[in-house]
Order: sequence, then C-alpha cells, then structure tokens
Amino acid sequence: MGPRRNEINTLDNTTLRSSPLFISSPVEFLLSPRRIVLKMQQGEGSETQVTWEDQQNINKFGRLNNRYHELEEEIKVAKEANENLEDASNELILSDEDVLRFQIGEVFAHVPSEEVESRLEKMKEDAAKELQRLEEEKESVLAQMAELKKILYGKFKDSINLEED
Amino acid sequence: MEISPSASTAGVTERRGIPGASFVEDVETYLKQSGLDVNSSLGFLQERLQQYRVVEMKLLAQQRDLQAKIPDIEKCLDVVAMLEAKKTAGEALITDFEVAEGIYSRSKVEDNDSVCLWLGANVMLEYSLEEAKSLLEKNLENAKASLEVLVGDLQFLRDQVTITQVTVARVYNWDVHQRRTKQAVKEPES
Repeated sequence: MGPRRNEINTLDNTTLRSSPLFISSPVEFLLSPRRIVLKMQQGEGSETQVTWEDQQNINKFGRLNNRYHELEEEIKVAKEANENLEDASNELILSDEDVLRFQIGEVFAHVPSEEVESRLEKMKEDAAKELQRLEEEKESVLAQMAELKKILYGKFKDSINLEED
Repeated sequence: MEISPSASTAGVTERRGIPGASFVEDVETYLKQSGLDVNSSLGFLQERLQQYRVVEMKLLAQQRDLQAKIPDIEKCLDVVAMLEAKKTAGEALITDFEVAEGIYSRSKVEDNDSVCLWLGANVMLEYSLEEAKSLLEKNLENAKASLEVLVGDLQFLRDQVTITQVTVARVYNWDVHQRRTKQAVKEPES
C-alpha cells in the first residue's frame, strides 16, 4: 500500500500527514537516519537551494551520528569488560589457591596463579587501551559533528534541525 | 574507524547492486527532465526508499552475523595457542569443560598434536596444531575484511537514503512554493 496523496512515509515507518497541497502551510519532512531528525521546513516563501556540497555535509553528519551511537554502545561494553577484569584481579588477590581455573574459549583451564596474574594484567592493559581508543574516537566524532552543525545551521538556519529528540 | 567521504561526483551510479541516488541540482530542471509531475516523482522516490530499506535490513543481518563470528574465531585461536604452549612445555592440560548446563567435567589432555575444527554443515576435521592455527587466522582475516566491506556498503546505502529523502523534501517544498506563488499572483490586491 503506497503512500496516499498527502502522506509521506519516513524511514522508521511513521506516516506524516501533510496538509493538502493547495493550502499553504509549512511542510515538515522527517529524515531519520537512526535517531537524528532533519526537518526541512519551508521558510516564509524563501527557498534555500541545496548544493551537492550541502548534501555531502548532511550525509557526513548522518554517518557521524550513526558512528557516535555505535561508539556509545561499544564504550559501554568496553567499560563493563574493564570492570569485570578489575573484579577478577581483586578476587585473585583475595584467593589463596595455587591453581585457578582460567577461562579460555569455552573451557576452564587449570592454570597456576602466577600465570593467571600475568595474563590478567595483560588483559587489563589491552582493555584499558581499547577503552581509551574508543573514547578518543568519540571525541573526534563529536568535534566533527559540531563543525558540521555550524556550517549547516549557518546556511539553512531554521530550515534544518540536527538535534536528537 | 575512518568516516570516508562520499563520492565527489554528484551521484555514483551503483555499488554492489545498490542503485545510487542521483543528486538533484535544481528541482525544476529535474522535474522537466524526468517528465514526471510532482506526485509521480514523489512516488518513484518513495519506492526507491523502500528498496533501500529492504537492502539495509539484509546488510544489517549480515553484519550481526559477522560480528558474532569474529569473537568465536578469536576464542578458538586462544585455545589452540594454549595447546601449543602446553605442548612446548611438555605438560598435560587439565581443563573443566561444560557437559550440560551448569555441569562441568574435568579432563586431562596430553600429547597434543592435533585438534578438530568444526567447519559447519555437520563437518568436523582434524588438523595439526599449526594447520589449525593458520586456518583460524585466515578465517579471522577474511571475516574482518568482509565486515569492513559490509560497513562501507552500509555507509554508502545510508548516504543514498539521505540524498533521496532530501530530494523528496525539496520536491515537495518546491511544489508547495509553486502553489503559494500561484495563489499570491491570483489574489487581487484588496
């Protein structure tokens, strides 16, 4: 069932009913790559042209925004991993045993506690580095998004909305 | 991860079966050239969006699969590395493995020269430790490379979706603008 005359389907399946074409009122169009909403509203009679460069900026913003959300998820996972490793090393200090069961793949291998300690240290180092890498990427993405926002708002002012709802 | 810039030319024709959305420089010329009226061109663009959505679902599913596969392969590599280490040390490996949910059994693995790898399709092959390691490493590389290509495809696809949606908005707005100006011309000064 295709869209009717005055309906527009958006990417997340919501249907926007616009007013019939012969009544002039601002037309809103929801453009939602993931959670960002780009509304192109008609201003009071003025019609800002969209150049290829603008389109590329909009595309880049959409991609950065997606990447930002992916990074948020990945950072959450990385933080959890870091915490688990911390807990594990705390347990290790408390425990008295010589041989511990260390998970490798799906099985638990019997490993002497010194080796466990060194493995754990290495894992903690790697996890910390990974988390830092993700945080840095997030900062860079946010900075680029802020730049693009300046440019796009500068050109389109009210006709575009780059905020998340 | 690098965010690669979109194509510098106005509209790449297609990428791996995904039709590219051609960028519209000017709405009026676009409508004249295509010979469609506003509603039909909106309809066509909507159809395009539907097609894109279908492809996006497919790509996302593939991405999920790959993202699950990669940690699996890494875990297998860990086990093989462990076996190798034990072999060089000449020790037996004692492990606890899961027999059923919550139930583990102890096993002693000595004198390792080979492992069995599950290849899928109900096939399991025995490999020497070195062969197993190189096979797993090759699989891991392939999986990571496929994932990269997939992510590139998804980015391209999302760009085309954005372009198409912006085009829809502009065609629509242009139409409203036209009607408004026509109405303004029609209205006598009162």
